[in-house]
Amino acid sequence: MIGMLTGDELERYDRQIIVRGFGKEGQERLKRTRVFIAGAGGLGSPIATYLAAAGVGMIRLADHDRVELSNLNRQVLHWDDDIGRSKVDSATEKLKKLNPEVKVEAIGEMITEANVSRLAAGFDLIVDAMDNLPTRYLLNRTALEMDIPFFHGAVYGFEGRVMTVIPGETACLGCVYRGAIPEEKFPVVGVTPAVIGCIQATEVIKYIVGIGQLLTNRLLVYDGLNMKFTEFRVKKDPNCEHCGKIVRGKG
Amino acid sequence: MSVRVNIHPRLYQFTGDQAVAEVSGNTVGQCLDDLVRQFPEIKKGLFGKDGKLLNYVDIYVNLESSYPEELSKPIREGDELHITLLIGGG
Repeated sequence: MIGMLTGDELERYDRQIIVRGFGKEGQERLKRTRVFIAGAGGLGSPIATYLAAAGVGMIRLADHDRVELSNLNRQVLHWDDDIGRSKVDSATEKLKKLNPEVKVEAIGEMITEANVSRLAAGFDLIVDAMDNLPTRYLLNRTALEMDIPFFHGAVYGFEGRVMTVIPGETACLGCVYRGAIPEEKFPVVGVTPAVIGCIQATEVIKYIVGIGQLLTNRLLVYDGLNMKFTEFRVKKDPNCEHCGKIVRGKG
Repeated sequence: MSVRVNIHPRLYQFTGDQAVAEVSGNTVGQCLDDLVRQFPEIKKGLFGKDGKLLNYVDIYVNLESSYPEELSKPIREGDELHITLLIGGG
């Protein structure tokens, strides 16, 4: 039966199955879930690693880039020997070694308006691991249109932010962000996407298992320099260009 | 009237690494004007040539967005502002 756990899986996931509120049922939910991770770089590395380790049933990983030396301070799924390889191939190889029970699909395409719906079709969740704002907006709109929960994260230097979007119910990226940012080579210390990506993965696991409080209508901002987390309250904007007209289940 | 302003780390270059400032004003705009009076260089990190807030700057008042009023949003004694900058890296 789909989602039933094998003896090996019960042993592999034993320490999380015994978490209060998790149980075998939560683990079976993870196994049944298909997650689309948009990006296999700084954020994508910890997100994919911890979702694979946790036993998500299927991960689709999309990224068109190849591994460069300058990626290695933060994109920890890619190693020195991987320089020049496709990022999704490099990542998929590691993830399959980490957890052969998880199906990992590598998509070496740039995410665009033309293919984003196809890439997200059939998936239960979309996780934002992008390195630019326009593609984040595209993913946010796609998630809303397809009624798929969306897990946002972004980093810069020692700073990061995270927010979870439930279409039709909560504030979306368009309710919170109205601007564009100047194009630049953004600075980043590897530990920052590690912190933010792990928070995104935590949100995904909680959502799937159905425990805890999600970061919905809350924007969590991490300031690693001063080691502070600040939580801003955000509201669904009825005039939002992305979600203003969307009601849950009618995306 | 005293209002505490938390300055975004990327703007520390304009404040001599000062993370928090005390300002006065009856609106967000007046508070930012007072901040600029104290740290004139920060103006280019907050405002465009048209005098409007840069579109990647968000001001939160007591942890809630000041949008859509933004600069005209009223401020009371003891309120706390956070200046945040949009980020997009990954």
